[in-house]
Amino acid sequence: MSDRRLFSFIDALVAGRRPGAFKADPEDAEVLRTAIALRAARPGDATPDEQFVSDLYQSLAEQANSSPAANVHPLRMRRARTVLVAVAASVALIGGTFVATESFDQSPATNAAVGVPHRDALRTGTFETPKGEVLGQIVAYNGHPSWVYMNVGVSQSTGTVMCMLQLKDGSIVAAGTIEIHGGTGELSKSIPVDIHRLRGAQLFSSTGAVLASATFA
Amino acid sequence: MPFARRVVRSHSITGDPARLRVVDPEGYADWEAVYRDNIDRLYRLMYARVGNRPDAEDLTSEVFRTALGPLRLASSKGEVRSYLLTTAQTVLASHWRRTLGLPVTSIDPESDLASLAEPSKTEDPSDAPQRAGKILAALPDRYRRILELRFLEACTIKEAAQAMNVSVSNAKVLQHRALRMAAKAGLELEQ
Repeated sequence: MSDRRLFSFIDALVAGRRPGAFKADPEDAEVLRTAIALRAARPGDATPDEQFVSDLYQSLAEQANSSPAANVHPLRMRRARTVLVAVAASVALIGGTFVATESFDQSPATNAAVGVPHRDALRTGTFETPKGEVLGQIVAYNGHPSWVYMNVGVSQSTGTVMCMLQLKDGSIVAAGTIEIHGGTGELSKSIPVDIHRLRGAQLFSSTGAVLASATFA
Repeated sequence: MPFARRVVRSHSITGDPARLRVVDPEGYADWEAVYRDNIDRLYRLMYARVGNRPDAEDLTSEVFRTALGPLRLASSKGEVRSYLLTTAQTVLASHWRRTLGLPVTSIDPESDLASLAEPSKTEDPSDAPQRAGKILAALPDRYRRILELRFLEACTIKEAAQAMNVSVSNAKVLQHRALRMAAKAGLELEQ
């Protein structure tokens, strides 16, 4: 079964198409890695297309001209995660002590940068329902204090969603309760743990049902 | 490096009016400069990690969309590149988690920093052909040939089967076994 999907993935690679998603077995990883390495050795596609470079530039220029608040509105979840990391990274870039309970609705106003976040300073995860639907994103920042920020989009228009953080040793830490307004909500909170001890996070409904889980990258 | 300041003229790709800005020569004048200086090499790096243009373009776009908004230009070029790579690392990890459920390839902001470093050229040599050549050289003739036909000469499985005078089913089996052996050879090369 896996071999057929593996072949389809490789066939798409060879043809220069976007390969389809499938649940790969760990023993497939090295084969896939080798196929990618061989495909990358073929001349041609390794150079970016001029139209792509130009189109992306135009798109980024429009993004740069849009308001910061518009950039962080969590309507499209895939983009929201992108922006979420960006916002979290921007806080890290500014450095200093961050008030973890502050809302991220406004971009930081200062331009006084003190450095770029260390590669280990941020961890991210995607909240997915048991059916694989993306419900939101979470970012953890390692600092003094460490903090987490998350946003969710749910079917209910109002109410609350509780977030619990899972540590690698199996213990659970409550991150807090997200107030839902208009189907979306967000939460930022300091956490008394090293983010590298985090394994994942779970969202629970007010009745205690698991809504979604995230695993930190 | 001695600190100096200079005035640079920033040209927009789309021909917007040029602007003058005082900048640190160790840093970037504006996001456009960050983009121009890194787009080619970041795309190449992403392409080497996913092996196809559509995904490489999407992921490269996601890296820039993520990184440029909050970027503070007071950072040095090295710091900005390190930041881009850290963002790329996360973006790629999410891509594999979504598509295959496991990290097939990865980006290490430290060891991959050279791929974004100076000198800035659009024709940076890639080590992909050399690495592929070493892997293929370690294979028996028929295994090497099927992989050459498929991956380097862009043959369909049917064309590859005809070139090797075997059935399509046999070509699929050959390719599968050849890739497994090539994967082992690749691991041995790394060790």
